[in-house]
Amino acid sequence: MKFQEFVCFEATIPELDNADRDAAIGALVSALAKAGRIPAQSAREITEAVIKRENEASTGMGKGVAVPHVKHTAAKKVMAAIAQSDAGIDFAALDEQPVYSIILLVSPTDSPDDHLQAMELLFKHLQKERFRKFLRQCRLPEQLEDLLTEADEDPSW
Amino acid sequence: MEIKKGIAVSPGISIGACLIIDSEDYRIPHRQINPSQRLTEVQRVRNAFRDAAQELTELEQAQDQTGGGRIKDIFAVHLRFLRDRSLRRKVTDMVHADSVTAEYAVSTVLREIASRFTNVRDTYISERAADIYDIERRLLRQLLGHKREDLGHLKEEVIIVARELSPTQTAGFNKAFVKGLASDVGGRTSHAAIVARSLGIPAVVALEDLTEIVRGGDTVIIDGNRGIVIVNPDEDTISEYERYSRDFLALEHKLDAIREKPAVTRDGVRIALLGNIEFPDEARVVLEKGGEGIGLYRTEFLYLNRPTEPTEQEHYEAYAETIRVFKERPVVIRTVDLGADKYTQSRRWAPEPNPFLGLRSIRYCLQNLTMFKRQLRAILRASVLGQVKIMFPLVTNVQELMQAKMIVHDVMEDLDEESLRYNRNIDVGIMIETPSAALTASTLARDADFFSIGTNDLTQYTLAVDRGNELVSTLYSAADPAVLRLIRMVMQDAHKAQIDLSVCGETASEPEYIMLLLGMGARTLSLTPPMIPEIKQVIRSVTLEECHKLTRKVLGMNSERQISAYLRNAARKVLPEAY
Amino acid sequence: MLTGEETLEELVCETTVEIKNAEGLHMRPAMKFVDVASQFACDITVSNDEMKADAKSIMEMSMLAATYGTRLQIKAEGAQAEEAISALTDLVEVRMFDEPPPENASG
Repeated sequence: MKFQEFVCFEATIPELDNADRDAAIGALVSALAKAGRIPAQSAREITEAVIKRENEASTGMGKGVAVPHVKHTAAKKVMAAIAQSDAGIDFAALDEQPVYSIILLVSPTDSPDDHLQAMELLFKHLQKERFRKFLRQCRLPEQLEDLLTEADEDPSW
Repeated sequence: MEIKKGIAVSPGISIGACLIIDSEDYRIPHRQINPSQRLTEVQRVRNAFRDAAQELTELEQAQDQTGGGRIKDIFAVHLRFLRDRSLRRKVTDMVHADSVTAEYAVSTVLREIASRFTNVRDTYISERAADIYDIERRLLRQLLGHKREDLGHLKEEVIIVARELSPTQTAGFNKAFVKGLASDVGGRTSHAAIVARSLGIPAVVALEDLTEIVRGGDTVIIDGNRGIVIVNPDEDTISEYERYSRDFLALEHKLDAIREKPAVTRDGVRIALLGNIEFPDEARVVLEKGGEGIGLYRTEFLYLNRPTEPTEQEHYEAYAETIRVFKERPVVIRTVDLGADKYTQSRRWAPEPNPFLGLRSIRYCLQNLTMFKRQLRAILRASVLGQVKIMFPLVTNVQELMQAKMIVHDVMEDLDEESLRYNRNIDVGIMIETPSAALTASTLARDADFFSIGTNDLTQYTLAVDRGNELVSTLYSAADPAVLRLIRMVMQDAHKAQIDLSVCGETASEPEYIMLLLGMGARTLSLTPPMIPEIKQVIRSVTLEECHKLTRKVLGMNSERQISAYLRNAARKVLPEAY
Repeated sequence: MLTGEETLEELVCETTVEIKNAEGLHMRPAMKFVDVASQFACDITVSNDEMKADAKSIMEMSMLAATYGTRLQIKAEGAQAEEAISALTDLVEVRMFDEPPPENASG
């Protein structure tokens, strides 16, 4: 599984401008809808599902990263959208630090393997300080695409 | 008579005839031969090759063309091998040069060839190693006749002597006949040690060259208390040991008598004593010895020694069996701690150069989510049967914990969708077994429901000593001031965060450390089942005040040797009969 | 590439071949190789980067464990050296040990 296969670069939000957690999630879901990855009428439901999950258990992994995720019938394939916030958002993360990079993952209900592979890939790269740093530095969707493509292609990543 | 000193890893005395086994269950007779016997051995080699070739020729002719002639082909290739002069010459050359038995030379030469195959990336070629092993077996069969020992079919009591013992071999042990273990290599926490302790038989490891000295059938004494093995003891020594053995059994019975009594200090502080297990049937031993639950259920054994991964149902059944023994008492299941072992290394494209510091344990699981989820599902489903807790091994940072908990949450969602029941409020905790985890315990405590200190690995990583390496085994010590400092730090952080803490490494099984652990704040210990009565005795003989005093003194000391000696003395005063 | 030199009394022939069958030089092809080599009186050796094997010994030949694409040097010394090299080259590169080539073979 590669980032290029599931990350929707058009849905990238380079700067969240003072949004709070729920608003950030909503913005990401809307971005996916706008990019045509999910039907517009499902956006509200998906957003609520993600927020509900987030309330049950924070996906703030620490070191400024959060990976909210949900499975939903409206998703045809595994997809992700990435948002950044310079100011940082409170995600009730374990290390009590703000979150600067949010990666929203939406998966169909019937492809458990794809979902798992996407998560494994995210875990693997988000563990690396270098990767997180470069992620935060991406200001444009193209920069993000470059970074993730490089992570896909270069085995030393 | 010869006395060998090694490391005592399982208590008790055993006197009996020994059975030497080599890594493939073949009883390889004594490796060295007298140089004058070399010609005879060389002839044995030639005969073996000739007879094996004969056997194969007959098999090949009898084999018809079914299977597309492939089997016939295989026989033809093996036959060619057996007729290869340079192969036979390699074997006879070794007999000549090193004065070894035909069996040993055959085995060594063929395995070396096999290893050349297994190192090749191409799986088709690497699988040909199996052919080489087959040829080796055929030759050994000729040489050994039908004397090959099947450890599952022992008919008399023996003491097993080996260079080292693999999980495969020990899995077949019949406790009725295996009365003791001795190995050349290994340490306190090597496999042979763990199994011997679970079976309750004496064992001594790290004897270096015992297999060179002893011959099959020799009488040996295994002193698992003092770490001594005596080969061909004289009459006096045997009488002395028989007497010692009787005294030791008397102590054991005395300890058994306190089985029903609670583990309470003289000044009324209650300590929970749990057991460390690997197999469901050890759960009963924990109960028999007076343990109150399972503090560490190592689940790796579900994966070893089998060609396929265990199914969710197989996981579930193993856990269910264990939980049913304990009903409402706690059972802490640790997710797989695999990685630095054959299982995962053989499945990699390129074996890791430093597996102990590599993709193992929780890291391995987070990169193999399908396997991880399968185990978690089984644990969660089993959680309705009793008081189950989940524990993650080798967590070194907060992200790993968060990722793992996220997966648990995902699994819970899946189970909800399938309407399968599980304990929604299941405790999820971690093992503290690395310096990084110990030093950041206060952060980890925010999101872990409990800690369990794995003193084996913590000591190993803190002191940078391989605990299985007998060359440095004297450097490995949980009494090292650095290790003690970390343990105390973890206990304080756990206390501050008000989460449960237990100690589950070897240290909890050793009488010398109990007062110190209690004095530092431990109230739950999880140990190897056979030691539960003795540890309970120690607890019942001390006051917590004495423990605090001892701890203060020890924490002011700077040398491991000083600390060890002090702890040993203190323990001797408390439990003189054990020394 | 075939080079033949006539030394004082013996003919020495050398060549390099490439393993072209999908499963490489495993047991069965190795055996065929040994069979062919054994028909000739000359000494024949096969080398890769790490070792030199006697072409008439199944044990040594299989230790080469040469995978698809590996290049091996064959050297024959003595009577019929040229014929030996020719027969072996034919076996390895033309007949490919009478085994299937890899699915995506381009040559």
